[in-house]
Amino acid sequence: MTEKGVSVRDPLVIAGREFRSRLITGTGKYPSFEVMREAVVASECEMVTVAIRRIDLDAVGEAITDWLPEGVMLLPNTAGCQTAEEAVRVARLARAGGLPDWIKLEVIPDPRYLLPDGEETLRAAAQLVEEGFTVLPYVLPDPVLQRKLEQVGCATVMPLAAPIGSGRGLKLRHAIEIMVEQAQVPVIVDAGLGAPSHAAECMEMGADGVLVNTAIGMAGDPPAMARAFALAVEAGRMAYLAGIIEESKEARPSSPITGLVTQERA
Amino acid sequence: MKVIVNNRELELQPQATVETLLGELGLQPRYALVERNGEPVERSRYGQVELREGDRLVVARPVAGG
Repeated sequence: MTEKGVSVRDPLVIAGREFRSRLITGTGKYPSFEVMREAVVASECEMVTVAIRRIDLDAVGEAITDWLPEGVMLLPNTAGCQTAEEAVRVARLARAGGLPDWIKLEVIPDPRYLLPDGEETLRAAAQLVEEGFTVLPYVLPDPVLQRKLEQVGCATVMPLAAPIGSGRGLKLRHAIEIMVEQAQVPVIVDAGLGAPSHAAECMEMGADGVLVNTAIGMAGDPPAMARAFALAVEAGRMAYLAGIIEESKEARPSSPITGLVTQERA
Repeated sequence: MKVIVNNRELELQPQATVETLLGELGLQPRYALVERNGEPVERSRYGQVELREGDRLVVARPVAGG
């Protein structure tokens, strides 16, 4: 079994599209576009998120799209939107302007913890699916909401592990476990991961993928951290497929308990 | 002809299109996202959609984000 072989035979499939990498990265918080590009290449990810913002007429500056490697799919997000209407407006603008008709749906009214509004997210998701978008909603880990989002036709559900940018890891594990267990569409753990071990934990648990931004963009060496996350995601996925042993309260010896050199009696 | 772009008043020649506006702003049409009077404009129509006096436009684009 080769390292590459596993990922090739086990693609992440979202809305019929195959991705060899189960790591999606965000493009925010890098020290420069150049470092961002190096990190995206090092991560081997095939989809990156971007935000949509008005252009500052006094400082047009460089376009991020000029810095992204060829072949990497752009996933526009609706970050900054606080209602379903705002999110639908941003998605329509992005698609009309030539971006993919995939949208990472975020409806976040709470600035302190950046927690998503499930009700507004569901309303926007239903509208956007109706309009032909492939919708990837960012949600609190809520298995009931997951069902509803699946029913309206979302392509994934993206539960947060911990608040955005917090780096705290898989704090909401138990609820996400239930989501993984009952999933009809891929579960991509999004937000709150701080270290590659957190990503590996998500994948070992059976998540279909992870989305990472801050932990890579703000690392001391973002391209190296991007590579570390890629390896962790691959290791975690491989471990999940290989079958992780059941935990035991007591020790289970790894060496034979008979035939000891010091065993004098038969 | 005056139009409002991202809350700022700009003077454009008569019959200016969305494409003309983007050119004035020094933007490539690729991934310049345009909303005119609240309605998104299809990129394939940037060269055809003529602006009118008083139009309110939003010009946006993808930026770094998670």
